[in-house]
This record gives sequence, structure tokens and C-alpha cells, in this order.
Amino acid sequence: MNRQCPESLCRRYKADNRTKTILMFSLILLACVVAATGLAVGASDIGPWQAFAALFKDSGRVHSIVWMLRLPRVVLAALVGFGLGLAGAVFQAILRNPLASPFTLGIGSGAGFGAVSMIIFFGGFDTYRVAGGAFVFALLSALLILGIARMKNASSETMILAGIAQMFLFSSLTSLLQYMGTMEQVHEIVFWFFGSLSKAGWPEIGLAAVMILVPFPILLYRSWDFNLLAAGDESAKALGVNVEQLRMAAVLAASLMTAGCICFTGVISFVGLVAPHITRMLIGGDYRFLLPISGLLGAVLLLAADILGRTVWSPQVLPIGIVTSIIGVPFFFYLLLKKSREYW
Amino acid sequence: MPNSPGAISMRRCKPLHKAFLPGWPAAAFLLVFLSGPAMGVTMIVEDALGKISQISLPVRRIVVLNSDVLEVLRILKAQNLVVGVCSEVAREPEFWGALASRPKVGGWRSPNLEAIVKLEPDLVIAYHRNPGREFDRRMAALGIQVLRLDFYRIEILEQEVHTLGRILDRQPQAARFCDWHRRHLEMIWEKLAWTGDRPPVYIESYTDYHAAGPGSGGDEMCILAGGRNIAAGFTIPYPQVTPEWVLSQNPEVIIKAVANGNGYALKNSSPFNRRRDAILRRPAWRYIAAVATGKVHVMDSAIWTGPRALIGIAYMAKWFYPGLFQDLHPEELHKEYLETFQGVEYRGVFVSKPVRDKRR
Repeated sequence: MNRQCPESLCRRYKADNRTKTILMFSLILLACVVAATGLAVGASDIGPWQAFAALFKDSGRVHSIVWMLRLPRVVLAALVGFGLGLAGAVFQAILRNPLASPFTLGIGSGAGFGAVSMIIFFGGFDTYRVAGGAFVFALLSALLILGIARMKNASSETMILAGIAQMFLFSSLTSLLQYMGTMEQVHEIVFWFFGSLSKAGWPEIGLAAVMILVPFPILLYRSWDFNLLAAGDESAKALGVNVEQLRMAAVLAASLMTAGCICFTGVISFVGLVAPHITRMLIGGDYRFLLPISGLLGAVLLLAADILGRTVWSPQVLPIGIVTSIIGVPFFFYLLLKKSREYW
Repeated sequence: MPNSPGAISMRRCKPLHKAFLPGWPAAAFLLVFLSGPAMGVTMIVEDALGKISQISLPVRRIVVLNSDVLEVLRILKAQNLVVGVCSEVAREPEFWGALASRPKVGGWRSPNLEAIVKLEPDLVIAYHRNPGREFDRRMAALGIQVLRLDFYRIEILEQEVHTLGRILDRQPQAARFCDWHRRHLEMIWEKLAWTGDRPPVYIESYTDYHAAGPGSGGDEMCILAGGRNIAAGFTIPYPQVTPEWVLSQNPEVIIKAVANGNGYALKNSSPFNRRRDAILRRPAWRYIAAVATGKVHVMDSAIWTGPRALIGIAYMAKWFYPGLFQDLHPEELHKEYLETFQGVEYRGVFVSKPVRDKRR
């Protein structure tokens, strides 16, 4: 039997950690580069250097375009991508299921139903009203899952089944409301489901940032517990993890992040599913790194998707939800065909 | 005729002129009358898709699947023939009066076939796209004829009104409306013929940052009112745009369509003003000429395309060329339309207040 000495294991462990840390910082750098590209690209005749210069000096119109139109868009894309990627990794951790994402538990469907309710019943063409509806129903759907899970000891199977049932319920209710809506309301609903990064300004971004970034350190603090959970509920319990409590807290935190992500942007799918998968392929299943790197990768993906959406068919904009799906679906097929057995 | 890039394209207008010429009924639109089985005649007409349909006459019982048709039936004084309406009509009881309480046959996209059959209509009138073509086949199997007329495309509006007028034997009413409609459109065009550059206009559809592109009703209305739609060069009817792109185009006028539900029942313009103020407050848009000069207007869906598109065009023309159209009063035009053609009193609010009035 080939036994490695503890010293070499320790060296390898440290080297692994170093590689992962380097990857994390590389991704931060890449996110900055993509964000800078997003800042440099736009419909008006502002060159890249002019745009960067306008960040630091007030030059009237150019300063306003950069600070009030381009930068909020870039920051929102980064935040939402980070939140969705991180939430996806958390859902995959607690459910121990490669198909888990913020949408698997019906959180996205709940948010969609909330937004559509506002549009139909309250003439909600107002951003805050629609966002409020999406946020409240995203959290309500999370609480419903938690309630059901609590009754059944929070097993991952129960949560997934309850989530799928909830997803169908909210999708049907959304279709019902859509069916009842006028032509104009249907128009609004369809575009909400496409997703958009144009509607949020700095105040909305501030709110989203609180919802997305506040749960992050808490989740990171529990990353060892997620690692233990990956070995199975029984093993985690044997090693002192309160599995039910962990699952409940994680679902709540990840749902809050998801609600913060989609309430101002509409549905942006696949980032939450794909970012954790890519991360797992790159660094394995250590949640101390998997969580932040999934978030960073999500940010890079969404920033890149936004640049594509704005430039491929310029000046028309491809809705961000469509771009992420177009990128995400082929990649997901690739994962299914090539890699899934190796890393899960 | 001015030759500026923004000038109204006569190529675009010509078909309208042609369509509106008094002699057009002689064209191939109404093709032939043939002997029919039961009551004697079958009329062959061209529907909104250009498809030839045979309609058995007389038509005494009609089910309507959208409010535009219902409005035209009131123009033709044929509302007493309506035996069933789509459910959406019940949302505007103030405007529709007794028609709002007629039997409902379900939504405009997916009506209840059994409810329609129960009403034993001679004719069902629907938009050309909704419900799908399967609906025609199923209705035909039940012995009910379906006619597809839109009444929201200005280029064929008069043509369609004449068609329905003939089917229902209401030609004088149809001609009266079409004359009125054509006269006012031509009055606007005549004045526009002497203008130079067209003002660049950003027309936003119901959803924020979705422009009205080519093929949309908003684009058509803008051109007819003498504006240059900045999204006219796009390839789809309702493209999503970035706020920065709108800023880069620097439109002189911004018009947004909204659907508050029922402009006819509104007592004041505050719902429209709120939407207008939200546009005025959009980040960095103060650099857009339209925002700087307060030329931001919000328009109700009632006068946005449909049989009342002329009213919307009149408002637009006045917003684009306030000096040129000093004697054009869209409210009076609307009043005349409602009282003469709809038989209802003029009330409600359909546009936002001008910004200057608000500041006073």
C-alpha cells in the first residue's frame, strides 16, 4: 500500500491552497479587466481613455454617462453575477446535487410570480413596486421550503422535491396571471423575464449590494461545514455539524442573495448553475475556495455576457437573460456529456 | 417637397393616399358577390393578412374578440349586433357602457369556444394573429365564420372599416368615419409638406428602455406626425436599447406609451405625470435635449394605435411642431370622435401635462 508521509501531504495541501489562492486573485484581476472593458464600451462616442479619465474628473456630460450609466451597469452585473454564482454553489452544497441552483428550489419562480403580481394587480410598471414583489415572493418561497423541510428533518431530497413542486406552482400561477393580463401587461411581463441591467441606478444597487454581500462572510465562515456535508449528512453529524440548522441558515442566506440579485434585474438564469460547475472543474470541491471563486466566476460571466449583449447587435441590446442562457445551455450540455462523472 | 433625411417619406405615405382615395373601393378589395346557399349572398373579402375570406350574409349576430373591433362596430352604429365580447371589455365599463355587460367569451388570445358556440354568432371577428389559425378551423367545423381584421394598423384602418361596413350594410357610416379620418390626416400632412428637418424622437413602448422600432404602431404614428423615429433603423419592432444610446441620439422629443388601464375613467393626469417625471429623472438624461426642454410626453394606450390613432398622431404633431399646429386641438378632435362616432360623452385624461404647465 502506497502511503504518503504527513509532510508531503502537508506540502501538497499547501501547494493546492496556493494554486487556488492564485486562481482567486487571477479571477479578481480578470473581473477588473472585463469590468474595465464594460466601462470602455458604450453607444456614445466616448473613447476608452476618455471614459477612464471621466471616472476621476468631472467633465460634465462624459462624467455623467460614465458615472450614472456605464458604471452602475458594470457594478450591478458584477454584483448580480457574484451573488448568483455564490448562491448556486451554496444550493449545490446543501442539496448535494449538481442540478441545484437558485431556480431549482423555486426561488426564481417565486420572484417571477411576485413581479408579475405587481404588474397585473397594482399597475406595477414602477421599478420599486415590481422589485418589491419579486423580493417578497422570493423570500416567501424560501420560507415555504424551509417550513416543509423543517417538518421532514431538512433532507436534501425533501427540499429538492418541495422546490420542484413549488417551481411548478409558481410557474402555473404566473401563467395564469399572464393569461389574465392585457396586451400591455403581457408585454411588460415578457420583458421582465428576459432580464435587464438598465433599470437599476445607484440607490437600487446599494440595496442589492446589502442583500448580496452581507450573507457572504457568514457563508464563508461555514465553508468547513459545507465540506463536511459533502461527505453525507451522517458523516457531517458524526463530526459535530448541526445539519438541519446549517441547511436552514444556508437556504435563507442564499435565498436572500438570489432575491437581491433578481428583484432589480429580472430573471437571469444559468449563471447560478454554471459558475459553480466550472469552479468545481477547476479547483475541486473545497468550499473555502469554491464559494468565493464561484461568485467571482459568476461576476466575470455576467460582465462578459453584458458586453456581448450590448455589442453583438449594437445599438440594439440582447437581453442579458437570453445571452446567459445562450452561453449557458451549450456549456451545460458539454458538462453533461464530458465532465459530470469526473468531478461530482 | 423637402428632401431632408428626416422628411416624411412619400414612398411610405403613398399607399395611404392611394388607399384613402375615394375610388379605391373599385379596387380589388371587395372582389365579387356570389350567390350563397341559405340567405342568398356570400361576400368575398380580403382580411388583415390579405387572405380572401367568404362571408355569408346577412350578419346579424357578432362575437368580437378585441376592443378595437368593438370600437369600430360602434363607429358603424352596429353595436346592437354584438352578442358576445372578449372578457377584457369588462375592464372599461365607463367607456363601453352596456356593451361591457354583454356575454363574455373569454380572453382575446384564447377564447372559450363553447361560450362562442352557445351565442350562435354569424361572425366572429378577431385580430389576424390571435387566436391562432386553428381557431378558424374549429369554428368552421361548428359552422361559424371567422373574419380577421386588425383595426390597429393605420395603413389599412380605413380599408378595414370599409370592409366591415359592407359586410354589415353600413357603408354610409363607414364612409363618414373614413372621410373624417382622411380629412384630418391630410390636413396634418399638408402642413408637414412645408417643413424641413424632422425632429428626432425617442418613442418608448410600455416597457422601460424598449423603443418602438420599425413595424410598430408607434413608429408609424411618429412618421405620420412628422417625426424622425431614432429607432427606425432597427430590425425588430420593440428593441431593447441602453439609456446611453438614447442619450447619444439626443432626441428632441420623448414619447412614452402607457397602459394605466382606462384613460377614459381618469379624473386627472397624475398617473401620466408620474411616468413622465420618472423619465425626466433618469440618470444622466438631463443632457438629452427633450429632457432639458421638457418635451417629454406620456400617452395612453387608448389613443396609441387602434381606431383612435389619429388622436395620438394629432398630439404628436402638436408636440413636434407646436408653432405649426397652433390651430390643431387634439382634445377637440377626440371630443368630436367620441361624441360623433362612439356616441359617448368626452371625458377622461389621455396624456401627461406639459412640463411648463407643471412648473407654473
